[in-house]
Amino acid sequence: MHPPPCREFPVGPFAGIASIFLCCALAACLAITAQAAEAPVRQAIDAEVRAVWAKEKITPAPKADDATFLRRVHLDLVGTIPTYEEARQFLEDADAGKRDKLIQRLLDDPRYAQQQAAVWDLTLFGRNPPNTEAVRYREPFKRWLTDKFARNEPYDGWVRDLLLAEQDGSESFYVQFNNKPEELAEAFSRIFLGTQIQCARCHDHPSADLSQKDFYGMAGFFVRLVALEQGPLEGGKPGKKYKIGEKSSGDVLFAGNAKELKPGMKGEPVKPKFLGGAPLDEPALPAGFKEPEIKTGVKSLPKPEFSRKEKLVEWATSPANPYFAKAAVNRVWAQFMGRGIVHPVDSFLDDTKGALPGVLDELTRQFIEHKFDMKWLIGELVRSETYQLAGRGAVKEALPKHFERARIRPLSAEEIMAALKTAGGDAEQKSDGVTETYFVRYFGEPVNGQGEFQGGLSEHLFLNNSDNVRAFLRRKKGNLADTIITSSEPWEQRVDRMFLSVLTRRPSESERARFTAHLTSDPKTDALVEEAIWVLVNTSEFRFNH
Amino acid sequence: MNDPSSPRHGPAPAAQGLCGPPFCPRHEHISRRALLKGGLATAAGAVVANWGGLFNSQSIAAEAKQRAKRCILLWMNGGASQIDTFDMKPGRPTAGPFREIKTALPGYRICEYLPKMAQQVGKLGIIRSMRTQSPDHPDGIYHMHTCYKQSERMPHPELGAMVAKYLGQEDADLPSFVRMGPVGNAGAGYLGPRYAPFSIDRGGKLPPFTSPYLPAANEERRNELLRSMEAEFQRENPADPYESHRVAKESAWRFLRARSLFDTSKDWPAHQDLYGASDFGRGCFLARKLVEAGVAFVEVGQDNYDSHADNFVCHKANMQVLDPAWSGLLIDLERTGLLQDTLVVWMGEVGRTPVINNRAGRDHFIHGWTVVLAGAGIQGGVIYGSTDADGRDVAENPVSEGDLFATIYTALGVDPRTKHYVGKRPIWATPEGSKPVKDLLA
Repeated sequence: MHPPPCREFPVGPFAGIASIFLCCALAACLAITAQAAEAPVRQAIDAEVRAVWAKEKITPAPKADDATFLRRVHLDLVGTIPTYEEARQFLEDADAGKRDKLIQRLLDDPRYAQQQAAVWDLTLFGRNPPNTEAVRYREPFKRWLTDKFARNEPYDGWVRDLLLAEQDGSESFYVQFNNKPEELAEAFSRIFLGTQIQCARCHDHPSADLSQKDFYGMAGFFVRLVALEQGPLEGGKPGKKYKIGEKSSGDVLFAGNAKELKPGMKGEPVKPKFLGGAPLDEPALPAGFKEPEIKTGVKSLPKPEFSRKEKLVEWATSPANPYFAKAAVNRVWAQFMGRGIVHPVDSFLDDTKGALPGVLDELTRQFIEHKFDMKWLIGELVRSETYQLAGRGAVKEALPKHFERARIRPLSAEEIMAALKTAGGDAEQKSDGVTETYFVRYFGEPVNGQGEFQGGLSEHLFLNNSDNVRAFLRRKKGNLADTIITSSEPWEQRVDRMFLSVLTRRPSESERARFTAHLTSDPKTDALVEEAIWVLVNTSEFRFNH
Repeated sequence: MNDPSSPRHGPAPAAQGLCGPPFCPRHEHISRRALLKGGLATAAGAVVANWGGLFNSQSIAAEAKQRAKRCILLWMNGGASQIDTFDMKPGRPTAGPFREIKTALPGYRICEYLPKMAQQVGKLGIIRSMRTQSPDHPDGIYHMHTCYKQSERMPHPELGAMVAKYLGQEDADLPSFVRMGPVGNAGAGYLGPRYAPFSIDRGGKLPPFTSPYLPAANEERRNELLRSMEAEFQRENPADPYESHRVAKESAWRFLRARSLFDTSKDWPAHQDLYGASDFGRGCFLARKLVEAGVAFVEVGQDNYDSHADNFVCHKANMQVLDPAWSGLLIDLERTGLLQDTLVVWMGEVGRTPVINNRAGRDHFIHGWTVVLAGAGIQGGVIYGSTDADGRDVAENPVSEGDLFATIYTALGVDPRTKHYVGKRPIWATPEGSKPVKDLLA
């Protein structure tokens, strides 16, 4: 089928051929941009951000240079820094479209799925999940989630599967809240609806329209879920397998304001009610229904007479849900831009518009229109001018309020390990005296309750003195230190290689001179090279994504 | 307090590069910190204790006294028995086999296995009416370290982290929150890793990664190179997280230079008689050394009081360790002039039941048990609250976790209603309605 413009083409000797040619081209072109009849949403982002700057009289940072952009987008999309070769190639590439190409390549990289799954895993569990013993080892869950991102399953789809918890590996999210429907309701609302409801556990919310009944109404959807042990994990791994069952009866009890509670007060059963919506329309149980007793060791429950879980999932993941898509867009925005448009990302109860209301609405609308396509959303964000601003500027906050320069975020424990491995130049590096739990312990929670970074003593003692870090840096056949030591290039060039390998940029004149002086200050080159690489991985520049 | 003849101001071992109260006149630190604090209070948006008159030189001395406050927590892990220590019930069915002895306070008697502490009662503020909410170990340990319930799953900071934040020195060589033995389980919570506990063992043995693998000269060489990198980078990138990273690195280096202070092998023999030859005693001695060196908070844990069976065997043995260690600490703090600035808290996560079970044990008890305070800000020789004849419940003046913490914070000069935010949610240092126990405050 030809698109309409072809008919308007002029008639002439070559008109037929030309029109066929053009029509094919147009058709091909239209096929590629089938969903993008309108301007890419990133233009809307940049336009509104610029309008805010004009209004606030802010001079934004300039566009980030290639090196800065390269490191930033690598860490954000695939969870590590680029190798020396990747950095050199990108910086030397004269193609004006090289950033776009790089983005596309990284979005298609298998590490993209691992990195996005790691980000969401941390959102879903945190560093100290409840029911820790049961979910500490959750490789099956991580594999399940990584697979979702590898297939680029729509956000609403994988969240539906997560909340139904019927697929192998998906159960862990619920397992951490076993027998704690109130905590599960809090986590669910916070993560998927962008709303903190826990204050209403004890008292009606003082300002927003949220009562204790709303809170217990949400908990009602989860109160019948049970984590059933299935036995040990395969291969002697720590932890157990679980299935999630749902009972046909049972309600949460609500007794009133926590301050006025007396011991022994039981409370009244509360029926499920959708947050900000209607009570669940629930049929009565058949007369004489008796819940079968759940005996120890039972591995599955019959399907419930009526599944509250399914009703909640249907409501939550519907495009018509007022919170779901918006909260997701805002969370992904914050992942790449530092602050949420609504900030913090779980404060929709206090603020539904945020700093860029137009952007939030437009992104949400198009996210739904693109069928919750995560890769599309992330691609648009990292292609925006806003994301690609430089990291320099007078503003001191890590997360500038008006997005006038790139955010500064600490690397996660996993990113630090991966970046050390990339920088150290030994791709095969595995155990070799490196224990991941140490990295998680010392780099796992680097912020205070406000999300502000705080350097800690233990982190630096570990960096200064641990063989776990040194293993990546010290000379080993074929790694960075070895390459530098055995190279016959002038020291200045070797310093360049060191900087590109670790910081993804070339050194300044003064840095080059200082490092060259250091590296030639003593005939014992091995020690000097290791020290110099140690210095680079201990800089602020390495510690953060900026 | 700046008397140069005081043992705290002996000549500084120059090689250590220490810069803390033992080695420099304290007021210099204080006045600088006073200014820092004033700035921090606004920047952080949090309410800090009102130091008052920061710029009034006449009040500096008074300020110095207030701001030098420290805290040592003696943590009775598992929960010590109140009836077998400070709230005895002679002649009652719940009494148990221990006898009473007289104390320095006329009419007040305590357990025969605390003879040295009996002489120190004039320094103590004893609360016999703790009525608390968390009856088990993990939740009780959490609750009695944070004054909030663990089940809220809010990342509350421990007392030690709060004290580290408000009384710690920004530029100290040593961490502001040091702990040893069995201790708290909450960490720095929402205050952040900067105030995280630094765990050592009671003999002073340091945790992993505190010994450099390079010779000192190489260390210094690489550190200098890093300093120059950071300086150049931060000239063009003056952002908060970079600065925090740099400052933490510098403090790690200072710590590594000062870490010999944790080594008690030389001075312990001379103090062993005073504190008793035990791990816990040695930990108490080290705690004294650390507060003297300017550490704001030190926690020393003693295990294990959880005597569900053989309560009396367990408590007799524990008290024989506790009595010299605790009294030795108070005596040592007093004779070094530190007691007036150092609050010493004695508590565990629960008390123990008045009823003796069929294994001669006492179980967990939260309806009326004992916590003891001494030193900075505390009125000594005060017995506050009481339990009924058999110790089954509080008879008068119940004290909650929040009330206790409000008392501790007030004694230390920290506002118990200090507010922080977790996301947008405001959280106070003590729960709403908590009241300091005025009778215990000096």
